[in-house]
Amino acid sequence: MDVLNNLDFATAFRALLPDLLGGLWISVEATVAGFILAVVIGVLIALGRLSKSKLLNGILVVFLEIVRGTPLLVQLVYMYYVVPLLIMLVVQFWQPSFQFTFSPFLAGMLGLGINYGCYLSEVVRSAILSIDKGQTEAALALGYTNRQSMWSIVMPQAIRNSVPVFGNYLVMMIKDTSLLAFITVSELLLRTQTYASQTFLTIESYTILALAYLVISLPLAQIMRLLEKRLLKHG
Amino acid sequence: MVNAMIEVKQLHKSFGSNEILKGIDFEVKKGEKIVIIGPSGSGKSTLLRCLNYLERPTSGSVKVEGQYFVEPQNKFSEKHVASLRTEIGMVFQRFNLFPTMTALENVIAAQVKIRKRSKEEARKTAEHYLNKVGLAERMDHYPSQLSGGQQQRVAIARALAMEPKVMLFDEATSALDPELVGEVLKVIRELADEGMTMVLVTHEMKFAEEVGDRIIFMDNGFIVEEGHPKEFFRNPKNERTKAFISQVEHPENMVAH
Ligand SMILES: Nc1ncnc2c1ncn2[C@@H]1O[C@H](COP(=O)(O)OP(=O)(O)O)[C@@H](O)[C@H]1O
Ligand SMILES: [Mg+2]
Repeated sequence: MDVLNNLDFATAFRALLPDLLGGLWISVEATVAGFILAVVIGVLIALGRLSKSKLLNGILVVFLEIVRGTPLLVQLVYMYYVVPLLIMLVVQFWQPSFQFTFSPFLAGMLGLGINYGCYLSEVVRSAILSIDKGQTEAALALGYTNRQSMWSIVMPQAIRNSVPVFGNYLVMMIKDTSLLAFITVSELLLRTQTYASQTFLTIESYTILALAYLVISLPLAQIMRLLEKRLLKHG
Repeated sequence: MVNAMIEVKQLHKSFGSNEILKGIDFEVKKGEKIVIIGPSGSGKSTLLRCLNYLERPTSGSVKVEGQYFVEPQNKFSEKHVASLRTEIGMVFQRFNLFPTMTALENVIAAQVKIRKRSKEEARKTAEHYLNKVGLAERMDHYPSQLSGGQQQRVAIARALAMEPKVMLFDEATSALDPELVGEVLKVIRELADEGMTMVLVTHEMKFAEEVGDRIIFMDNGFIVEEGHPKEFFRNPKNERTKAFISQVEHPENMVAH
């Protein structure tokens, strides 16, 4: 059992752990920011898809297909390297000296937010469609406009009913923050990679990394379960 | 002073090529209680829903207190329609309470959002009306914790709290277990006694006769007959009215074809 004897968890823990705490924080920040953005985008796309405009619907469907048909990793790389270039090219028509970049974190947050927003939009859309038409009618009869009824009666119920599914996506997003390593965000994976390649303590490093993800995702899953129970108590 | 609370002229409503209302004319005077009866599918709900523009008529006009929902020649304005609707309370067969809100919150919501009342004022008004429908004890319950009859009474309080000038009831007791019908009818009757203008669709013939000032019998998209309750039930003129009344009063005599 040479392999096992050669493992040096003690060293890896001592050296990697402080570093990972910083990475953990960045991953959590990216997840929180990315998920809030995803919910906003998801709600807006869902409303767009439910609008009567055929054109808007068409555009959104194409956009959704593109986002869901390509890997998140590619989208993140695009967001970091290509999107700023495109913005720069366009603005330089008017202002030739214009320069523009995203910070890695901002690009990562935007990429995660847009990608997850597309998936969440389908969740929100079907949740809206599953709310009884009687709810809207009751609101309209009380003098709400369609928009008011959507925002203060239907949407809150739809979001509430979506919370369990949102929870699954939230835990998935935490794990997907590891992809931010590819656009140089100094999150958990990048820090682990760096340490592992310097010390060759590969098994130890990645085991610690896995534990670090579990430290966030397990309690989070538990919190989501409690929240779900509370929310679904009525109606 | 406008005497007619609701004025309906040559109202037509089609769903696709299916014409449901085929030219309805009638008036509801201030304080009057109109009961609409008729076989299932005859267009009663559709008519009632046209009265607050939950359904948009295909042609014809609806006026509330002299105001059109949509002025002839004018464009549909959602704001105007919504503001006219605040003058008309509606009670649905299936209650349609907001499930994430307590009874009290259900009654407060539109007062604050639409009537722009302060939270305290809305709460006072809500408590007053919940008290009136006999639910002072249940204000903090969610709809799922209330019986059907209680839910419907909350729905009535919710509509009343907007202080509408007319109330519409679409088979308010049809979804209730028989033993819960009475408590809801009692609340509606009290409201009638206080002079509220009302249009009711109901299958409770005895209630219709006692509460109604006028009965309208609809069949197949037309108003077939209308009259004072006593006259209407004792002495119906139209053959279809006669058949309907005898069917409702003696369902056991009906032979399936
Ligand atoms: N939104 C709708 N779309 C299509 N058909 C409808 C719609 N609402 C009602 N109808 C049809 O209109 C007819 C009359 O319905 P309704 O007014 O509910 O009758 P009642 O209340 O007298 O039973 C029914 O045949 C029903 O199928
Ligand atoms: Mg009906």
